[in-house]
Amino acid sequence: MAFPLPRGITPSEIGFLAEMEMVTVVPRQRLEGLELLGGPIEPLVPPRRASLPLWLALLLKRQRRANIMPPSWLHPEPLNLILEVESQHPDYRDAFSPPPPLPGQPSIRDDGLAPTARPQYTPDGNRYYASPPFLPQNTAQTEGFSSRDPPALPFHWVEMGNMLLESASDDLVEPDQIRRLLKDLPATGGGGVALTGVGAMEVGEERGFLTGVVDNLRKIGASKEQARREQMAEQRANGAYDGAQDEEEEDYMEF
Amino acid sequence: MSYYDVDSILTDAQKLPCTFELEVPGLGILEGNPGEDIKPGTRIDLPLWLGEMLSIGARLGTSRLVTLDMPSALSERVMNALKADPRTVDLRSLAPHFYSLGERILELFEEEELVDVLMETFKKRAAEVSDQAHNPRGAVGDGVDFLRGLDETERQLFRAAHDRAKEMRVWSGEAKRK
Repeated sequence: MAFPLPRGITPSEIGFLAEMEMVTVVPRQRLEGLELLGGPIEPLVPPRRASLPLWLALLLKRQRRANIMPPSWLHPEPLNLILEVESQHPDYRDAFSPPPPLPGQPSIRDDGLAPTARPQYTPDGNRYYASPPFLPQNTAQTEGFSSRDPPALPFHWVEMGNMLLESASDDLVEPDQIRRLLKDLPATGGGGVALTGVGAMEVGEERGFLTGVVDNLRKIGASKEQARREQMAEQRANGAYDGAQDEEEEDYMEF
Repeated sequence: MSYYDVDSILTDAQKLPCTFELEVPGLGILEGNPGEDIKPGTRIDLPLWLGEMLSIGARLGTSRLVTLDMPSALSERVMNALKADPRTVDLRSLAPHFYSLGERILELFEEEELVDVLMETFKKRAAEVSDQAHNPRGAVGDGVDFLRGLDETERQLFRAAHDRAKEMRVWSGEAKRK
């Protein structure tokens, strides 16, 4: 069917969404607090650090009114470490490195600890649990992460890295090396279809292909699935239904 | 499958070997003898949609007009080749809409083994398609033979993966927008 727009979400749209992420800036000029749709912005007083949405930080950076503090993961050493994990570690050779832990989630090192989710409250008093797009994963002082946690790539790592390299490369430590590492990372992660630790841009890129593959597999297997259901319905009707037969077949695909 | 889906129309137009069970007066035109009758036992390739309609009597319990056979694209020989190495088979020359044809055939015949072979083939070939789509030299280098043998479903997958990879490069400023 001819549809003028490409299916799914385009890279520039994903980039737009990523501009909502909070980053840390060091202002060079004073700026009064702003009442933005996304929430109020604290007044900027140099040289006190402040958290701003990425789009505003980039705007101020281009006008030379602020410097951006790179997120804790956007340094050569953590990136090198993540690259090493994805390419060397036996557990992750066919998968992506784990995402950053959620608040209250036990870090990888204390194994077997039950997760204790800490609820947060909206201004109206409703309880909620923050999840990746709404966590400050890109600020310089990443609160909530203990320093002993291994470095991890946040949800919007592709976009964040790209935009900061483009507009604020002089604020980064060794930008050329970071650029090289960011380019190497996707090449190593493409070993298998993992369900955790996939970034927004990676989801957007593979969406069209993966849904096509899974949809076609479903169509090919439709007659078999139909037969299986009829068989199950028959068994249930005979009263001989055995719950063990309900096991879902897992389609794991190697790429 | 939508009513206006061109791919589904083209799938239905693919030929299927049919054997006539009854004598049909005046239908010799299908065989290339206009004005003649069709004798019982004549084998003619009919489009999928026509063959399906004519064989429907079998399901209603009345005497049927034709019996259907497996199309050559899904024959035992092809299945053995696919079992041996899915990547070297030229699906496009067998049937331009290979997988869609397989789906339609599986609605008509019960073939457990065919399902498994097609699934396995598709998984293996899809992985290869993904590799080729992300390899900027895939379409011109040694992958050219494989890509020429893709069926229509696989071509769409290739296009989806390739376009997305290209859009990514354009967005990140590595490639120029054309």
